[in-house]
Amino acid sequence: MNLSISQRLAAMFAITSLVLLSMAAVAMHCLLERELTRHQMNELQSRWQLHEPFIHRNNDAAYWDYVASKLDSILADHQRVRMWVLSDDERFHYGSQPDAALRATAQADGFGELLVDGRKMKSFSGEVGAHGERPAVRMMIALDSTPFAETLQTFTVGLVALMVLGAVAAAALGSYIAGIGLRPLGRLSREAQALTPNDLSRRLQIDTLPPELSQLAQAFNGALGRLESSYQHLEAFNADVAHELRTPLGNLIGQTQVTLSRERDAQELKELLHSNLEDLERLRGIVNDMLFLARADRGESAPNRVEVSLAREVQRAVEFLEFVLEEAGVQVRIEGDARASIETSLFGRAITNLLQNAVQHAPRGAEVVVDVTQQAGVIRISVRNPGPSIGQEHLARMFDRFYRVDSARSGSHENHGLGLAIVRAIATMHGGTVFADSGAQGTVIGFTVAAG
Amino acid sequence: MKVLIVEDETKTADYLQRGLREQGYVVDVARDGVSGRHMALEYEYDVIVLDVMLPGVDGFAVLSALRERRHTPVIMLTARDRVDDRVRGLREGADDYLIKPFSFLELIARLQALTRRSRGQEAMQLRIADLHIDLLARKAWRDGQRLELTAKEFALLAALARRKGEILSKTTIAELVWDVNFDSDTNVVEVAVKRLRAKLDTPFATNLLHTVRGMGYVLEARSSVEVQV
Repeated sequence: MNLSISQRLAAMFAITSLVLLSMAAVAMHCLLERELTRHQMNELQSRWQLHEPFIHRNNDAAYWDYVASKLDSILADHQRVRMWVLSDDERFHYGSQPDAALRATAQADGFGELLVDGRKMKSFSGEVGAHGERPAVRMMIALDSTPFAETLQTFTVGLVALMVLGAVAAAALGSYIAGIGLRPLGRLSREAQALTPNDLSRRLQIDTLPPELSQLAQAFNGALGRLESSYQHLEAFNADVAHELRTPLGNLIGQTQVTLSRERDAQELKELLHSNLEDLERLRGIVNDMLFLARADRGESAPNRVEVSLAREVQRAVEFLEFVLEEAGVQVRIEGDARASIETSLFGRAITNLLQNAVQHAPRGAEVVVDVTQQAGVIRISVRNPGPSIGQEHLARMFDRFYRVDSARSGSHENHGLGLAIVRAIATMHGGTVFADSGAQGTVIGFTVAAG
Repeated sequence: MKVLIVEDETKTADYLQRGLREQGYVVDVARDGVSGRHMALEYEYDVIVLDVMLPGVDGFAVLSALRERRHTPVIMLTARDRVDDRVRGLREGADDYLIKPFSFLELIARLQALTRRSRGQEAMQLRIADLHIDLLARKAWRDGQRLELTAKEFALLAALARRKGEILSKTTIAELVWDVNFDSDTNVVEVAVKRLRAKLDTPFATNLLHTVRGMGYVLEARSSVEVQV
């Protein structure tokens, strides 16, 4: 069953008040019943004490008629009270002719219950000692308890009616109160509904919300913020991809059209095909790199890992880049070492990209330092080049796809701006991350891989 | 050398057929999984190039049907860059794989690697025009003059000379000379070729090391003096 919150609250209010009222009603009912009983007992006892001396005093059978008429006149004023005096001596008898049940009740000392003429009565019996010619007699006073039972019943009916009314009132009030209390939620929900994908910068109003909801709204706004940022990222990224692909595609189409618009000799056509091939290779490089980055984005981790010395792998990359380093007049020094489980070709690619990046920025004759250090749970591989420092605004974004610190370098044939993004992807695939720092002593760019 | 290409994409199948024929292979083409499986089982091939995504019966099914009866070397072509496909292909008996888009040179290199395994002892002395290479002594002469090459320069020369007349892509060269099997943005191969050329060609009348733009490099004696493109 899918009830609304205010329905739930109303039902809970009703149930709660019903339970509380029932408890109160039961308590009151018990209390009243006890009080009524006590009241009856008091009356019976006081009447006993009133009449007992009178019976006791009269010991003359001849005088007993006077006693009976006296008692009759007293009891005539009190319709609810009946009285019996039972004796083996018929002369000392008072009250209606007793049946067996009545007689039995009268024989037992103290309080009892009996049914007389269809009315329930409460009784008190006892013995009045022998005096003169009168033997010991049983005296019983009975009080009609029907009025008390009726009072109790009326009271009970009233209580039940009160309980039901109370529960209904509580439900109605609860629903109303819940409605008031939930009003901010309704507003929040309408506000959230009004948010559209076209306007990702809008946020929910938090100031006017109660604390419980403002936390939710803050969390929601946080999610919106992340969504907006990744949406913008994606948009920028799509634009970048389109831009990167557009340039070689434009070249391909344009130069092919120019060449084919006239009769060309074989040499010129061959020249066109070579040029086309260069652009196509560039496109292929971009597509392959994008597919590689997508693998890391999907959360794929490096599949073919082996445990190796990282300094040794860095050394291999340095050997690979030997000619390039010589051309640039840059020395590489490797410091530290650690063993880690890595996919060597991926690691080699990352370190090659970092070294290539360092060589591009280091001045001639400089020394680039690769530092491998083990820290808590991770191994840091950092590449420091003594080149000019890079602004903070670039450091944060330099691992983004197609991001170029030096915008003049864009369009360069060699580098399509994915080098450091690939480093980050490789770090991610090894359970690590990337870092960059720049200052007067140079620029440090590197990545970490999970140790062990 | 007889090759079967199982590929449904018409353009791809056509250029592969033409390219491989021109490289001296005898080429058959199957354009769907069913006929591919039939041909692979019925005829003798030296190597099979098998696309994973085929209409009807897919590449994996063709592969497993083939492996029940034959051990013909198979190169799988996977369009998706997914580890699953590659791992699955290799586990189910493929000998190698290429991820689309792949370069034709890369395919040639893989085909040769697969078929070369059975080739006999390699010559230790190579001669190309007036170039003489002693692979054992790791020395090279041109026109009787000793070439002073560094270890890597010699490795590059040997790699090109072993595949005289074949165009080697930068990726293949990086793999053969430096044992580097990943794409990189570096111009290491260009620099290495430039340095080798300075010692191999510049002092002499004719050039042996040629650049094929967009493709790679080739070492061969060309009859006429050609304009470098």
